[in-house]
Amino acid sequence: MTLAELERYFAAAATSGVGPIAGLDEVFVNRGALSASERLAIYNRGYYYRLLDALAAVFGDTKRALGAKEFERVSLAYLAQHPSEHAAIERVGRHFPGYLRERFPALGPTLALANLEWARLCALVAPNPQSIALARELRPAEFPRSRLRFVPALQCLDTVAVWRATQAVTQCALEAFEFQSLSAAMQGASMSRVCAVFDTGQVEADTQRAFAVISSWFARQWVERVEVDGA
Amino acid sequence: MHRAPATQQTLSKAASPVRVGLGLRVPHYGALVTRGVRADFAEATSENFIGRGGRAFSVLERVRQDVPVALHGVSLSIGGTDPLRDDYLAGLGELAQRIDALSISDHLCFGTFGGHYAHDLWPLPYTEEALDHVVERVRRVQDRLKRQLLLENVSSYVEYRASTMSEWEFLSEVVTRADAGILLDVNNVFVSAHNHGFSAREYLAGLPRARVRQIHLAGHSDGGGFLLDNHGSPVSEPVWRLYEHAMAHFGAVPTIVEWDERVPALAELEAEAERARVVATVQLAKVTDAARRAP
Repeated sequence: MTLAELERYFAAAATSGVGPIAGLDEVFVNRGALSASERLAIYNRGYYYRLLDALAAVFGDTKRALGAKEFERVSLAYLAQHPSEHAAIERVGRHFPGYLRERFPALGPTLALANLEWARLCALVAPNPQSIALARELRPAEFPRSRLRFVPALQCLDTVAVWRATQAVTQCALEAFEFQSLSAAMQGASMSRVCAVFDTGQVEADTQRAFAVISSWFARQWVERVEVDGA
Repeated sequence: MHRAPATQQTLSKAASPVRVGLGLRVPHYGALVTRGVRADFAEATSENFIGRGGRAFSVLERVRQDVPVALHGVSLSIGGTDPLRDDYLAGLGELAQRIDALSISDHLCFGTFGGHYAHDLWPLPYTEEALDHVVERVRRVQDRLKRQLLLENVSSYVEYRASTMSEWEFLSEVVTRADAGILLDVNNVFVSAHNHGFSAREYLAGLPRARVRQIHLAGHSDGGGFLLDNHGSPVSEPVWRLYEHAMAHFGAVPTIVEWDERVPALAELEAEAERARVVATVQLAKVTDAARRAP
């Protein structure tokens, strides 16, 4: 067998979810008290132990909601479909909330919990921002053409914003118009389009509300920089 | 009057020819920030800091103010047949530059398969094909990082029938041909020697002395018929004996104590590191003394 074939064979044995694979004795030495199968089982147990542990560390509340046994069953099925794609083991759960939503839509509030826990992990490990922008960097003359670039730690869920403040992860609830405006801004919409979200036909009230919401983004240090089209 | 054995005494850093380091672990972050690092250097797991900000990185920067930091990776997969990850190497290089890393190391193993990460240190077959493959990848990594890579021997539980050389012959050939260094894990040598029935001292004797740049010490457990490298207990007495032998053989090699499972209080980890300093210093003094007395 070539190196690539031996590695593929080893990986198949070490990640097998259905017990030992065929032909172990032909590839590995049987020595001492342990058979080749028992020796490979050490790697197999280690593989799943580490990944389950990593998932449980990120999705602790989801695990409590599902119960330890069900969480392990679901996690094993998830890992069979989504092996780790990232060098840092904590990121193995990247597709876990989506997997739960697709496979177990009846889980209801637990799905939102898993989403939130993943967002909290993303906020925790995100790179530091290059800078923090101040509200005064939004110049009136350029305001309609301005776009906001947000700090990497900011995560926007349907009803919740999650970010990292002074090194700790924090979150706040978002009302519908806050979510819509923040989503638009995070997708790179210009401020004229972001402000359109607040338009209910009551100019003074709408303006006040837009001002309060956009100011709060700066106050919470969500904005990394202000960019102006054509500048 | 009770006297502590030599290995429990403390020794000033200045009086010791051996630098000792500690692995950075999350449960110790608070203590490390408030009262600083009581070791000569620290070792950070590369993957815990690549591309990351927040508290983890600020702790790393704080530690770096006190002592040099060695970067130790677990996901390079230098023996893997998947392509080397460019984004990983870019992140590692950037991190090393930011903290002016003392060294960069990873394991002589593979840990990727079909584009996925195992997050484990899987053993390689020790064949000519694997040797050529690893040497070429080590050279590429070193060219990319513009510095020497240290490779650590892993604990293993299986041997391939295809292997045509011993692990120490393979490791020696890799580092010599690729001009890399060795991070010698003494505990891993002990564990693998037990699991595969070879002599740990023969292993050490077979390595190119000048290429051993760092040493690791850690704990293992008895898995019933095999030893498990779990980094979850104090360094065992037989491993301390093997460390003495390694110090006598390789000289004053910087030594790091690792502890990853059931991480104890920082003071306990520091006590293990201090024990390494004392053991090494005593052993090196014996070697010097024996050389002086020799006709």
